[in-house]
Amino acid sequence: MSISRRDFIKTQAALAAATAAGTTLTGAKVAEAASHDDDIRWDKGACRFCGTGCGVLVGTKQGRIVATQGDPDAPVNKGLNCIKGYFLSKIMYGKDRLTKPLLRKTNGVYDKEGDFEEVSWDEAFDVMAEKWKEALKKKGPTSVGMFGSGQWTLWEGYAASKLMKGGFRTNNIDPNARHCMASAVGGFMRAFGIDEPMGCYDDLEHADAFVLWGANMAEMHPILWSRLTDTRLTKPGCEVHVLSTFEHRCFDLADNGMVFTPQTDLAILNYIANYIIENKAYNQEFIDKHVNFNATTTDIGYGLRPEHPLQKAAKNPNKGKFHKVSFDEYAAMVSEYTLEKASEMSGVPADKLERLAKVYADPNKKVTSYWTMGFNQHTRGVWVNGLLYNVHLLMGKISEPGNSPFSLTGQPSACGTAREVGTFAHRLPADLVVMKEAHRDFAEKTWNLPKGTIPPKPGYHAVLQNRMLKDGKLNAYWVQCNNNMQAAANMNEEGYPGYRNPENFIAVSDPYPTVTAMAADLILPTAMWMEKEGAYGNAERRTQFWRQQVDAPGEAKSDVWQVVEFSKRFKVEEVWPEELLALKPEHRGKTLYEVLFRNGHTDKFPLQEITDNAGNVYNNSESKDFGFYLQKGLFEEYREFQWNGPKKGHEMAPFEAYHNARGLRWPVLDGKETLWRFREGYDKHVEAGKDVQFYGKPDGRAAIIFAPYEPPAESPDDEFNLWLSTGRVLEHWHSGSMTRRVPELYRAYPDAKLYMHPDDAKERHLKRGQEVKVQTRRGEVTTRVETRGRNKPPRGLVFMPWFDAGQLVNKLTLDATDPLSKETDYKKCACRVVRA
Amino acid sequence: MSITGLVIHAAPKNAATVQAAIEALDGAEVHKVTEDGRLVVTVDHPDDNEAAQVFESFKTIAGVLSTSLVYTHFEEDHGEGEHVS
Repeated sequence: MSISRRDFIKTQAALAAATAAGTTLTGAKVAEAASHDDDIRWDKGACRFCGTGCGVLVGTKQGRIVATQGDPDAPVNKGLNCIKGYFLSKIMYGKDRLTKPLLRKTNGVYDKEGDFEEVSWDEAFDVMAEKWKEALKKKGPTSVGMFGSGQWTLWEGYAASKLMKGGFRTNNIDPNARHCMASAVGGFMRAFGIDEPMGCYDDLEHADAFVLWGANMAEMHPILWSRLTDTRLTKPGCEVHVLSTFEHRCFDLADNGMVFTPQTDLAILNYIANYIIENKAYNQEFIDKHVNFNATTTDIGYGLRPEHPLQKAAKNPNKGKFHKVSFDEYAAMVSEYTLEKASEMSGVPADKLERLAKVYADPNKKVTSYWTMGFNQHTRGVWVNGLLYNVHLLMGKISEPGNSPFSLTGQPSACGTAREVGTFAHRLPADLVVMKEAHRDFAEKTWNLPKGTIPPKPGYHAVLQNRMLKDGKLNAYWVQCNNNMQAAANMNEEGYPGYRNPENFIAVSDPYPTVTAMAADLILPTAMWMEKEGAYGNAERRTQFWRQQVDAPGEAKSDVWQVVEFSKRFKVEEVWPEELLALKPEHRGKTLYEVLFRNGHTDKFPLQEITDNAGNVYNNSESKDFGFYLQKGLFEEYREFQWNGPKKGHEMAPFEAYHNARGLRWPVLDGKETLWRFREGYDKHVEAGKDVQFYGKPDGRAAIIFAPYEPPAESPDDEFNLWLSTGRVLEHWHSGSMTRRVPELYRAYPDAKLYMHPDDAKERHLKRGQEVKVQTRRGEVTTRVETRGRNKPPRGLVFMPWFDAGQLVNKLTLDATDPLSKETDYKKCACRVVRA
Repeated sequence: MSITGLVIHAAPKNAATVQAAIEALDGAEVHKVTEDGRLVVTVDHPDDNEAAQVFESFKTIAGVLSTSLVYTHFEEDHGEGEHVS
């Protein structure tokens, strides 16, 4: 008996869906489809998009990915994918995929004002290396730098950081995670002394109440949202509280939906702490044993250029110091935030705020809090992260199933790569920092570099990189795996002038001609996702690997290949001073490639045939090119930082373990992953009998840190009379550089639009769908008004997504940052809307 | 051409009306409805764009709590040949 191939595939699709729904199908077709071996090779992978880290099975046929499936064995998503999964197998096959390096030229030679022409990799790297050498010679290591990504694989970030910090001796490397996670990192380091969430996704089934603080999980983390929805619908008494500055899809499920005035989350959180204290609901034993109380320095400015009036007006610009206070002093500080005051400031009815406070204060309710960009993209982002920890810590609702303050991430490896392997301007692998001599010493020893190679001063962070490009202080610059011209705030005044500054040479590595690539001088065609062996780390500390499934098109090469290959172009004498070289004379005459990668250590794993358990053989383009197992060498060297370094708590399993497991959550001790950190019984780092131990801090205590409400950098006034908030939509991932290339997605949500309250539109004589100009003090963008649909702003606020390269919303935004985390506040500036 | 398998979650009391609404959409087929309101659905459409429109339509059906994608297959040439087991 035969059935058409189409029927067969449809039956496969139905079977997979049935399995994911926890049911089975029967019938003749089903039996046949189930028993048949298709000619598709299936292997496990991790999704390319958000920070959830869903497992996907990738189906390859004749060198091309033709199918993907939610991995039923993946604990994160249990066989489900969100709608973006539909496009996973398509993102590599966009029509305008770049396959050759492109250099701006006039009359056959490089010219910054010239047009892009195809060149060989040799010519591309020759010109690029010459520019880097020129900058290094003229102005030293601070004139070169790199902007990377939370979408880099672990080894890509690790290799880039090693080349920049250990090779070029510059700390001017920062990831785009600066725009998304830096405030969360700051919050973790201040409260716990160690980065990343203590809980995990299992909290989604354990909690009795969920609170969303500035996270639109329904659209941005749909799989986690579906798990949360399941719990809400099946667990009696389960509640969902949603806070946002505008109504979005999560409000459909909310038992208590709250729209608050931007920035007043600071006041609401202090009110909750006050409520807990006034009602003596706090967990006295937990407080006595596991926390201490502090207050932070206030009036810290807005992370703007020093000459900006707001910076000049600040008493303590950029100061992050906090000092110990007593419990009573802390109680007095929060006592100012009464229910009346919080309600008045936030515009949220008092009964709703009180209902929320009661959930946190109820010792018998397990509460999990989620947040993303609403908290992090905030000029007081580190503070507001801390204020939420204060609430959980007062109650002892932390580090156990269901009681979890949990910072979600937006990129597939914001945790794994951007944070863990040390790609921030101040960081080194495994939570080490460049400012500490002992940490630099350890990194230099591990990398066999002379003492003093790594500079002690943090490099330029993301926002500062654009400013320094504009000012001509950063001259040779490399952007990989992100679209920062579109993503960074205040493109008109900072980003674009910086890239086009005649003193600078900008190289951009990307699979597609993004806005950023088109603003560059050299574009390097880049292999993506399944075209390379990779590893990501998701928001719950889970590290996931995949094998190279297909080859990249044309001459496209992966980011790690590019970094390692580029290092061959530099003799160590060209980048290090003689006195440094004299400390390691054995490095004389070598290239950076020979010092950093082909050095007898990083290259210790020989080339091997890559196979899965079924015996399928996979390519590994980079290892073949360099002649050793590059990814394994980099990962195992990174593990030396985890296991032998000065900070415990980041331990991972050996390389091979991850090619077998569906990811493992670090620390992985005695072969076992850790689900809840800092609590005895779950975390092996906690000393016996301690119950809870925040071992990131020398005294084992977490820091409750008081911070007051302070106003945002810019608020609506008579001239610019609306709040402008920017953000994402379900269909497009971030800047749309991948998803906008998939025709169906493009059509589903083709262009950005401006979500506005119908009364605000009426007042301005605007109709739904009408073309309008959105104007701020920095620029204007033309778009169309939307008064219905999924996002419902309150009066006085408009929302516009930023995925659309045709409507660059970052011409409008202000580059005000959190002075502590240096993360931009994309959620608050003042605008006006007029007819186009 | 694409063929996709999905799980659509509805409150059990709404499952029947949701099923009817899904089946009214071009290329969509409901293979099973579980007791707890999960619908096993495939979308098979010669035009990828229209398939994507069908996914959009799911969101607007009253009673749908969530739509999850499970399986997607894209191939230039299938539907032509016959599969012989």
